[in-house]
Amino acid sequence: MNAEMNSIQPVLITIGVALLFIVLLWPKSGLLPRLRKTRQYTERIQIEDTLKHIHSREMEAQQSTLQSIAGVLQTSTNHAGDILAKMEAVVLLNYEEERLIYTPKGERAALHNLRAHRLWERYLADETGFGEAEWHDLAEEREHFLSAEDIDLLSERLGHPTHDPHGDPIPDAAGEYVSHGGKPLPSYESGTRLRIVHVEDEPGMIYAQLVAEGLYPGMQVQIIEKSHERIRFWADGDEHILAPIVAHNLSVIPEPDEKANAAPYSCQTLACLELGEQGVVLGISPACRGAERRRLFDLGVLQGATVQAEYRSPSGDPTAYRIRDALIALRKEQADYIFIEKVPKVSHERA
Amino acid sequence: MNEPIQPGAEQVLAQARDLRWKISGNLHERLLEGIYTEASRLAERAVSRPDSPPRFDLDRTIDRLVTSRIWGFPIMLLLFTLIFWITISGANIPSGWIAHLLLDKLHPLLKNLAANSILPVWIQGLLVDGMYLSTAWVVSVMLPPMAIFFPLFTLLEDFGYLPRVAFNLDRVFKRTGAHGRQALSMMMGFGCNAAGVIATRIIDSPRERLIAIITNNFALCNGRWPTQILLATLFVGALVPAELAGLISALTVVGVALLGVLLTFLVNWFLSRTWLKGEVSTFSLELPPYRPPRILQTIYTSVIDRTIFVLWRAVVFALPAGAVIWLAANIDIGGLSVAEHLIDILNPIGLFLGLNGVILVAYIVAIPANEIVIPTILMLTVLLTGINSVGSGAGVMFELESNQATLGVLQAGGWTLLTAVNMMLFSLIHNPCSTTLFTIFKETGSKKWTILSAALPLAMGFIVTFLVAHLWRLIAAIT
Repeated sequence: MNAEMNSIQPVLITIGVALLFIVLLWPKSGLLPRLRKTRQYTERIQIEDTLKHIHSREMEAQQSTLQSIAGVLQTSTNHAGDILAKMEAVVLLNYEEERLIYTPKGERAALHNLRAHRLWERYLADETGFGEAEWHDLAEEREHFLSAEDIDLLSERLGHPTHDPHGDPIPDAAGEYVSHGGKPLPSYESGTRLRIVHVEDEPGMIYAQLVAEGLYPGMQVQIIEKSHERIRFWADGDEHILAPIVAHNLSVIPEPDEKANAAPYSCQTLACLELGEQGVVLGISPACRGAERRRLFDLGVLQGATVQAEYRSPSGDPTAYRIRDALIALRKEQADYIFIEKVPKVSHERA
Repeated sequence: MNEPIQPGAEQVLAQARDLRWKISGNLHERLLEGIYTEASRLAERAVSRPDSPPRFDLDRTIDRLVTSRIWGFPIMLLLFTLIFWITISGANIPSGWIAHLLLDKLHPLLKNLAANSILPVWIQGLLVDGMYLSTAWVVSVMLPPMAIFFPLFTLLEDFGYLPRVAFNLDRVFKRTGAHGRQALSMMMGFGCNAAGVIATRIIDSPRERLIAIITNNFALCNGRWPTQILLATLFVGALVPAELAGLISALTVVGVALLGVLLTFLVNWFLSRTWLKGEVSTFSLELPPYRPPRILQTIYTSVIDRTIFVLWRAVVFALPAGAVIWLAANIDIGGLSVAEHLIDILNPIGLFLGLNGVILVAYIVAIPANEIVIPTILMLTVLLTGINSVGSGAGVMFELESNQATLGVLQAGGWTLLTAVNMMLFSLIHNPCSTTLFTIFKETGSKKWTILSAALPLAMGFIVTFLVAHLWRLIAAIT
């Protein structure tokens, strides 16, 4: 009896300790990660977020209100009022004719923040392995921890990019930028050749749907059919159907590149080659970025190269392709980035 | 872009700013793509290829076979079983020779030599019984299997088969967030973890490479196979009738090795979702044409590059370890040796984990090389229990001629089946040896990843032995 008690207790303790660890440390939803996140929200960050909010409202020609600010900061209107008062005291804000506007100093601060946010997003997209859905939130956390010099260094390291991965322009060091000039997809008529210039990343739910559809800035689009319930369109060879409210978050411009219009809309990817079939590479999807894109270039996956699917792994993935006389195995996700045009199979002999 | 270009730096700059937004997009990437495309166009034009008729393509035939749905995996399994079998059974004989030469012949000779010299007795012990003996031990256990395993492995590599293994297994590794090539560094790890860590150089994506480095520890290395085999034979094999004992103990060892593979997948999965989340990852795998292996060159390079290199590091670490072991067993504080004090302190923790103090002390002093764990345990047990007639004195490592005698010593040290099982588990999971850790530091250049590679398996080892011990005791209490 006693022995039994002695051995049950440690097991219970073990399970308890294990559960405690899980509750405390589980990534994202654990107590410690959460605590760390809330602690980071200091007053400075709230001020910066307020400025950013006012800026984005201004861009949409809308008014910022105490309520909208309290909503963005996820705090009470009382607390938001305190913060606004403090901002007014350090000349970041003014009330003019009952309107909340920022001072030139406030505008500079807002642009600084916007620049930091978009550069971070560019960095996360190009140089890290984080998924699309995580960029915004990570940048939102990190944007507050860069000095002006840090931002310039980051910009230089990334080759002074002009746009973030969602297509938003990144203000330059002087705070200047040019809007992408796109209009929401539903505002165009069927048949026009278009190009996506911006994918809105807020709200997260709609953005997640756009990401799941595989839509990115840089894709070529053509509307097939438009109604009040849905909008059907081609994007880089795939057909998509979206609710108009979702499609509204895609900004497009008429296709600027004359030559691009020659590209067939029903293009296929390398992944749809059957074993033994050949294709000619048309290009690599804009969704393939950074190190992975450069690696594909290195391997000779370039416009005009002929690729033949040769073998498939016994487990179903990857597939070995013959590219420029070398046998290269690519996973399905990668093969899906590579647009090709199938060619009828020709024998190796030449006349 | 038709505006006339105006003179003056200001205007030029202004226009550049303006154009920057007009051109927009990934200018650099487009330039890069343009350069590559142009280069390939030039190459296409300049390089002429002989119009040879398609030769009978041996490569394709081999590839069809080794990557076939039906034959791919069985061929792989067969080849690796063969390599392991040749290594394990083939290494025994030269291992015996070297041990005979270094331990039975040279050791007494050196001892004699030292005894006749003017050196103080304690320095004689430190040098001959401590440093020399542990190094000789490591060399005799480590050298032959590595000298067999690595050349065989390199021959397969040279032939071009190994990339096909990665090709076949990639999907399994991908599911756990890793690269198919990790299969190869893992295989190499079965020979030696330090070599396995170096072998991760074939993985070009930094994230997948770090994963492969950190989890290489779970590939049961050469220094740990003998421990597993010995304990499985002594304790697990003894549970079943004699005619089944060999089979059951072999299966037990295979089971432990497979558990290691499972842990590799588990930790892969964990790392790629936590600490290594966000690191860049790329995939591509070149499948080179098959080549007839250059046997002599292969043997030369694998002996020089891998065997000698790893062995040298092991020796560098085994020398001081030998000294520490000898000193621990021979320095007295208040009538007891340092080792005995340590064992006393660690015994409660050891027993709590289903191990014992001797095992923990042996693992601490044997961090440099897993090969000396069993000899150290035997030595410490004898030191502690005061069994006479075995071994050759305090701080002198030894191995016993018969398994029965070894079992006797261990049982005198209070070993049970639980101790043996937990020792096997701990031996599989615990932190990599110092040679491997040093290699990890060299390869990653980061203290952070080196510490993680040591701390993570160590913590897992403690947790697993703890759970097993308590479940074991719980079940024992109920039945």
